[in-house]
Amino acid sequence: MTAPASGIVVPVKRSPTLRQTVGYVIQQALDADGDAPVIHFVSVASWRADDPGSDADRRRATELLEQVETWSRFELEEADADPDAITIETAVIGDDDYLFSPADYAELLTAYGESHGLGHVVVDPEYSLVGHTTLVEPLEFELQQRKLSIEEAPVDRPTRRGRLTVSSTPARFLTLFGTSFLFYQILGGFSGLFDIVTGLATALVVAIALDNVSFYRDPTLVESPKRLARGVIYVPYLLYEIVVSNLVVARVILDPRLDIDPRLTKVRVFVGSGFPLTTLANSITLTPGTLTVKADDQELYVHSLVPFARDGLFDGALERWVRFVFYGREAARFPTPRERGDTEILQDPDASSTADANAVADGGVDVDGDSGVDDSTDIADDSATRSQEGER
Amino acid sequence: MITTARIGLIAVFVALGLFFTFVSATGVIRLPDVFSRAHTASQADTLGAGFALAAVALTIGWGPTAVKTVLLLFFIFVTNPTAAHAIARAAYEEGVEPWTRGDERR
Repeated sequence: MTAPASGIVVPVKRSPTLRQTVGYVIQQALDADGDAPVIHFVSVASWRADDPGSDADRRRATELLEQVETWSRFELEEADADPDAITIETAVIGDDDYLFSPADYAELLTAYGESHGLGHVVVDPEYSLVGHTTLVEPLEFELQQRKLSIEEAPVDRPTRRGRLTVSSTPARFLTLFGTSFLFYQILGGFSGLFDIVTGLATALVVAIALDNVSFYRDPTLVESPKRLARGVIYVPYLLYEIVVSNLVVARVILDPRLDIDPRLTKVRVFVGSGFPLTTLANSITLTPGTLTVKADDQELYVHSLVPFARDGLFDGALERWVRFVFYGREAARFPTPRERGDTEILQDPDASSTADANAVADGGVDVDGDSGVDDSTDIADDSATRSQEGER
Repeated sequence: MITTARIGLIAVFVALGLFFTFVSATGVIRLPDVFSRAHTASQADTLGAGFALAAVALTIGWGPTAVKTVLLLFFIFVTNPTAAHAIARAAYEEGVEPWTRGDERR
């Protein structure tokens, strides 16, 4: 049997470029000649129908498909087309088995296409199979083996992250070389000529290999040692915080009543992106009772276990210290997150449980395209500039 | 005298390290969901390993090896929150809803 060229199957999953992909598919179908085009949007299940909790997964998938359908209708209206010019179907497929490889997905899509007379696949370039790895290329390869014509929707892809590599400068190279050499000597116990020679060789290899991923700014003779010194002052304070919260959390855990009250919170912090933000997020995680779940630019999603930890977080002592380490004493004087009103408990105890679920879902998966941004913020201050260069 | 004090201190550190590791293990078993478990799993690394390494450093005495234990602690302090964050973030992005008071245990 030969499938009509107008039959298109589009696998969908939440992605920053899904909206654009839908627009492209509709446009293609409208432009195509021939009799009434058919488009099937399918959500490939990553669960099995008999798994516990699969109802919620199915509901999410159905919601997404409804949204896709709404977008499609909208596109048709925009194009002043007859709403019935295109047949749009949606389906959830593949919930009777676990799918592991791109080949499984391709097999399933082919079978679906054959049974519905669809011969063409359009893939969202950010489509991901399982988890968050974009695996469009292997999927395309597998589909090509199976007599389906395939096309990647030409959408503007948001750059998922800034480029990790930066150009080298002598200052960065020498700092890295010196640090590696010193580290080697410490490990070797400063034990003579042999260690010095091998150390020089090792440090050279390290410096050459890792030079363009180590520093994002030139280390300076005055500011960098000062930061390092302030960092050394920070360590005892961090240890003190860790011990205090460890004791609080230990008491809660050993308490037979297990008196916990976990909440997801959102705190907007002012420490600057890149290394300072990473330092703060890691310090928060190191302190038991608070756990950084996600960093979205200067907004940290922090899971807190007990009210004590939450209060500590909102009082912003760690944030103040990190500002002190990176920008000096002046920067440390700043209102706390609570005073600034930059704190938010995402799972409000008064709200109903469905509202909680929505809050989480909204924060987690953003269809309109900025969900990739959080990756870039961990990198460097100038990541925005570099991510523009990095766009293809 | 000094040796006795030192041995005593070593014993105290080992005991504390064991205690926090025990608390951490208890927490992993008792707490209700992946997020709260990630909290307590990192406890074993911070204070559990911290006190154990302090005991090691004391036993060895001052020297390059003691410096190495401090470096070990430093690397644990860098990698441990990164791992906890990776687990929590993976769970979050997969749409796992954090457990709140009143939910059933899962």
